[in-house]
Amino acid sequence: MSEGDQEVRALMIRYQGGSLEAFQEIYAQLAPGVRRYLSHLAGGSEIADDLLQETFLQMHRSRAAYNPNYAVRPWVFGLARNVFLMNRRAARQWAKVHESREDLPEFPVLPEADRLGSRDEIRRCIADLPPDQAEALLLHHEWGFSFEEIAGMLGISAAAARARASRGMADLRRALKGLQSAQAAPRGLPVMNNSGDLAAARESLVRKLLKRARA
Amino acid sequence: MMDRSLKPPEALMRAIAQDLKPVRPSPQPLRLALRMVPLALLVSSLILLAIGPRHDAGILGPLLTWGASAVQFVLAIALVWIAAHESIPVGRLPRQVVYSAAVTASLVVVLISLITFSTSPASEPVLRVPPIVNELLRVKPWLMGFACGIGSTLAGGILVLFFSWVFRNSLATRPTEAGALYGAGAGLAINAGWRIACPVSTPWHALGAHGAAIIATVILGALIGRFLGSRRLRMGDKHS
Repeated sequence: MSEGDQEVRALMIRYQGGSLEAFQEIYAQLAPGVRRYLSHLAGGSEIADDLLQETFLQMHRSRAAYNPNYAVRPWVFGLARNVFLMNRRAARQWAKVHESREDLPEFPVLPEADRLGSRDEIRRCIADLPPDQAEALLLHHEWGFSFEEIAGMLGISAAAARARASRGMADLRRALKGLQSAQAAPRGLPVMNNSGDLAAARESLVRKLLKRARA
Repeated sequence: MMDRSLKPPEALMRAIAQDLKPVRPSPQPLRLALRMVPLALLVSSLILLAIGPRHDAGILGPLLTWGASAVQFVLAIALVWIAAHESIPVGRLPRQVVYSAAVTASLVVVLISLITFSTSPASEPVLRVPPIVNELLRVKPWLMGFACGIGSTLAGGILVLFFSWVFRNSLATRPTEAGALYGAGAGLAINAGWRIACPVSTPWHALGAHGAAIIATVILGALIGRFLGSRRLRMGDKHS
């Protein structure tokens, strides 16, 4: 457990003892990351904010279910995933998620992929990865969870979590490289009249490259 | 950089401030499963205490009478342990482990039933009850199946309710599956005691009546798990 995790764990124990200040501190430390994770899961939808509040409410209601042997961050992220899936299953706001899919989720740009393309390209490529690969990739590379922690959150083995993340990273690299080489020699591309056309063509190219990479 | 000044919304703070009583942290899955052992052992032994062990226990020998039941009981606790893991957002086991445990438990029940029948093919209901009851059960064998099915389902139901109370704060992503797992654990634990008392070892009785009771407890557990899961969702909804 890292030093940061130890600190949050101590806060969680205080919170279980009835401290409101400890809850506020936990919220301040974890809410931004959890919100970005929920935003990724919900495809950039605004329901991420509602789900964030619900996650912390569920955390409060089930605070007794936390065992201090577990790290708090993966526990809360797992809880957020749980809240998202339960809500999706209930299909209350699911339509909203799909409606807002046009905007790219504001998930982060991986440092490992930073040199391979612009932020927008990387985001677009991550959005086009298979969801299970994108999730494992972001949980490991962006939020720094170990493969054992990811395995516990997703209900898979640590080896499967590692495989998903590395397959995602390989597909992402391939797609970005393909995108760059296609931009350097745009022979096969149609002539673009406006930036919208260019974005659409780029997106279709990314999809094709990812498909080829997966094949 | 982390924004330490980030504050929770007012509505969330109000909901939390309303109920801030100290709570005791939940034990780890293994400890939680082991805590269930005494009550599971007590409920599964009730039938044994009431009518005693089967009349052909001597033919079956201690290994097939007590040993096989001990194996079933250990498997039952293992299923509860897996259900406890499923109930923790960060402690879930790989799906292969969950499914393998469920398949192993089913195979063990079938295997033990068949070995018991091949060692002692007892089909006559000989119980330590008034002779008229034994005679009635002999004439109408379906009554024996019905009694075993209903009796072990009721006993299993008691255990399922107890497990559901322990798992009431479960944070399972798949609450129906978690409920089915502890339901299976309850059914298996009851069957471990029931098979030592039941004098009939024909496969149709052992698998039909006792097996149906296990399936009933699995369904009951799944339904309760599903109910608790959707209740949690509704309660979250009420506050948001």
